[in-house]
Amino acid sequence: MQATWTLADGQDVTHDVAEGLNLMEAATAHGVAGIIGECGGSMSCATCHVVVDPDWFARTGAIGDFEDQMLDVVEADRQPTSRLSCQIRMTAALDGIRLVVPEA
Amino acid sequence: MTVWAPTDDGHADLSSHDSFVSGPPLNTFARLRREDPLSWSDWSGGKGFWSVTRHADILELNRQHELLSSARGIRMEDQTYEEYLARRTFQETDPPEHMQTRVKVARAFSKNVVAEFEDQIRALCVEILDQTLAKGTFDATKDIARELPMRMLGRIIGTPDEDLPWLVEKGDALIANTDPDFTKHVLDRMTTDEFRMMPFNSPAGAELFVYAKDLMQRKADRGDTSGVLNMILAPGPDGTVMPENEFRNFFCLLVAAGNDTTRYSIAAGIQALCNQPELLAQIQSGAVDDTMADEIIRWATPALYFRRTATRDFDMHGRTVREGDKVLYWFISGNRDETAFDNPLWVDLGRTPNKHLSFGQGGPHLCLGMWLARLEVRVLFQELAKRIRSIEPAGEHRFLRSNFVGGIKSLPVTVTLK
Repeated sequence: MQATWTLADGQDVTHDVAEGLNLMEAATAHGVAGIIGECGGSMSCATCHVVVDPDWFARTGAIGDFEDQMLDVVEADRQPTSRLSCQIRMTAALDGIRLVVPEA
Repeated sequence: MTVWAPTDDGHADLSSHDSFVSGPPLNTFARLRREDPLSWSDWSGGKGFWSVTRHADILELNRQHELLSSARGIRMEDQTYEEYLARRTFQETDPPEHMQTRVKVARAFSKNVVAEFEDQIRALCVEILDQTLAKGTFDATKDIARELPMRMLGRIIGTPDEDLPWLVEKGDALIANTDPDFTKHVLDRMTTDEFRMMPFNSPAGAELFVYAKDLMQRKADRGDTSGVLNMILAPGPDGTVMPENEFRNFFCLLVAAGNDTTRYSIAAGIQALCNQPELLAQIQSGAVDDTMADEIIRWATPALYFRRTATRDFDMHGRTVREGDKVLYWFISGNRDETAFDNPLWVDLGRTPNKHLSFGQGGPHLCLGMWLARLEVRVLFQELAKRIRSIEPAGEHRFLRSNFVGGIKSLPVTVTLK
């Protein structure tokens, strides 16, 4: 399974993501620029913000209450399809997902 | 090249504050990382504990808050349930309860909101440095490192400047409660348990409680509902309000944790400038503006450890940790781990990436104030480097007597101005 991140400089990077891994873990394991994830996926840092491609957004599932509140304090402006990528877990339905790493 | 060299014999007693008076016992941590990465210590002051010393292990365990809970105390000392309830803040809770409090203050400490303080911080730095550097020789902890976070704290919680020295003195008495320079009630030498319901088991907690109550009353009287303290008192989405004792504990946490960590980061950075003279020119060049704060904070590691408690038995490195056992994550050891950092005993202001653990990285309790700490450290060193041609020791520096807070409490230096 794969995911593609569009970096702040416009470049696309595609990486393999194992099922069950969350997309912050996948990004930091591959060194995707702009995804930091300092709290290890517990929604405390808001440094794994991505904007999900609208075509894929519905498939990423519902935004939880805490995630919703932390999305209000991310560094780059929140967009309608913004998520904390630590809260998106890789499944077959998300194979090929496209994400934008917003410019800080 | 001078690399700072630890002097312990590799077998320091981690439970003893006295093992840390010449700086953290780094030879001991190096040996433990190599030979005994999940090691048991007996402790004369209570139940013994496990020490986790490798960088990778701390990261791996820190995210497993269901296995290793914060909700039974976060320091070495044992607490009864009654004491825990009386003294807890959101530091001593686990997700999801932890997030209920955290989201209330997340905005106030977010990167963007904190960034707006930069001009104010710079003005404070200029004021502090202009006053201090002219003396030529001075105590850099007392005259620089202590001043900046103290004055910023005042701005953030909305206290008048004249109250700040008193507040910081009380904060020090709380968090440096094992150093006789900071408190009359040295925790491990106390013969009374009358303060055990107070934050950090310290009588200063009672005084801070009264102060917090007065402060909120004064704010209410003039209709002022702004600031972090009012955010924390606002009802959550489910309508729940933080109980009064927890609010007072939160106030103590802000006063204590918001102060000494940044102070000792700045002090460690200044000591590094004395140790490695090339650092000054690097800062002056502007080339390390984006990276130096994290390296200085790695070098400092003011929170030497935090403790968790196992919620069930588990095996690791051939050992069995039992339910109820205390497990300490030694961030100071993780930050000197040779497998995570090249030349870990060397300050490299351009270090990238810098996966240090000083803020409790990898877990839900990641330091709330980390953006503010980074900003204060960066701006302070930028302004310091602008003004001096050299800096060197003017006597021996002294560490705090504490195995919990790592800090240079006295740092005599001499500067030559540009």
